[in-house]
Amino acid sequence: MTDLAWASMGELARLVATKAVSPVEIVRTHLDRIAALDGTLKAYITVMGESALQAARAAEAAVMAGEARGALHGVPVGLKDLYCTKGVKTTGGSRILGDWVPAEDATVVTRLAAAGAIVLGKLNMHEFAYGPEGLNVHYGTTWNPWDRSTHRICGGSSSGSGAAVAAGLCPGALGSDTGGSIRIPSALCGLTGIKPTYGRVSRAGVLPLAWSLDHVGPMCRSAVDCALMLGAMAGYDPRDSSTSVLPVPDYAAALTGEIKGLRIGLLRRVFLETADAPQRQAVEQAVKTLEGLGASVREVSLEQMKYAAGVVAAMISAESYAYHETWLKTRGAEYGPDVRERLLVGAFVSGADYLKGQRVRRLIRDEVDRVLGGVDVLIAPTVPIAATPVGAREAVVNGAPQPVRPSLLRYTRPFNASGHPAASVPCGFTADGLPIGMQVLGRSFDEATVLRVADAYQRATDWHARRPPFAA
Amino acid sequence: MSAIVSPSPITKDALRALAQAQGLTLSEADLDRLLPLVQATRALLDELAAAPLDDVEPTALYHML
Repeated sequence: MTDLAWASMGELARLVATKAVSPVEIVRTHLDRIAALDGTLKAYITVMGESALQAARAAEAAVMAGEARGALHGVPVGLKDLYCTKGVKTTGGSRILGDWVPAEDATVVTRLAAAGAIVLGKLNMHEFAYGPEGLNVHYGTTWNPWDRSTHRICGGSSSGSGAAVAAGLCPGALGSDTGGSIRIPSALCGLTGIKPTYGRVSRAGVLPLAWSLDHVGPMCRSAVDCALMLGAMAGYDPRDSSTSVLPVPDYAAALTGEIKGLRIGLLRRVFLETADAPQRQAVEQAVKTLEGLGASVREVSLEQMKYAAGVVAAMISAESYAYHETWLKTRGAEYGPDVRERLLVGAFVSGADYLKGQRVRRLIRDEVDRVLGGVDVLIAPTVPIAATPVGAREAVVNGAPQPVRPSLLRYTRPFNASGHPAASVPCGFTADGLPIGMQVLGRSFDEATVLRVADAYQRATDWHARRPPFAA
Repeated sequence: MSAIVSPSPITKDALRALAQAQGLTLSEADLDRLLPLVQATRALLDELAAAPLDDVEPTALYHML
């Protein structure tokens, strides 16, 4: 009998569609696990038990009447608590918006509901998405399910999404990614997550951190489930002027398992060579696996990456300050100290700094485009380190101490600047049993190839199928 | 014609003056905590001066079509 807490989203949808299992049973299973485990994990800020059960009963009735709604009919999801939900508070992980109840749903929430998904609740996060660790002084810091004895970070800012999916408290979740906030927690929690191309998925109704860097995307336990969720959300939205009119391919159909002849560019310089040994070895082994599946591999480098930290600093500082300026002046004491300080930095970034950053950003984007003209995907580690204990400011990388925060962001933020699609895929574990992620990057609007590579790898390996000790 | 000089690291006094000019009320403790963050960010921004920009225009955010 299928364990509903660990079934894939595709399997749950199939069980519902064939009337083998009621959506009510699926939702109850997850609500029971939330009740049992979330006191410690702190993955959820708001559990929507009553409305989820109501939606499940409606989904069950629809199936029995032959009126299933879409690819995710009766399948539960969690939402990072920066997605607006009509009638349900949306805190952004903050005290400032602690009681804010939006009047309408974010576009992606509407689209997931149209596909039949049922929202289980709103997930914890770094306050206002401004932090790669996933810390939260207001709602408690999420516990990484891969270590039962030590409170380790999940990575952020989508920390609750990472913990909830990894621990079987929902089969898939929405994260958001401004400097790595989907990919970092996916890597540290053993999940598959994809940051689509900028403009592929609507940001309407999503609390911004930095408008020009923010990306919306799914975090799941497999590439197949990411394809299902992404397919339900992607596409032009008149509410978001940055969305593309390009047609949305059938991502699930693109997962053929076939990568023979695929050309991989391995980012060794700056990326792989600076990762800690377990991460480097795991990614190298994963690349060998992909070669064994018929892909060809050659090393490539991105020379403009040396400017990525400065570019993202200019964008994120100025844009986040612009959004938060009034609150910083009138309600500054209500922010967590770390987030308030980082937001205030933006007051000291000039318009000229911002535009210089936007000019250098073009160099970065053009170079990634150019390199991807010669290969189909790029491979790199997602993060150079494993999940650190909460409160640790340094991690040892190849024998030398490195600051945690910039280390977490180093390999992911360049692709927020460039806007290219990037997934994180589980590719191994450290000796301590902590997950390691591999980043797969593709051409703009070619999420299908990124997901095809991730899926082919997952057909050949079982890293993504392992369960964390906390959730057993 | 004046020469271009490298920017000096921002000081606490300069930070205080800039904050006041923008209507931000920051305590001395705030300024002490903020100063290294601003200095680190300024250092990253200063590195961008080495980028070969020539006639490169800023990345556009919004699509017209």
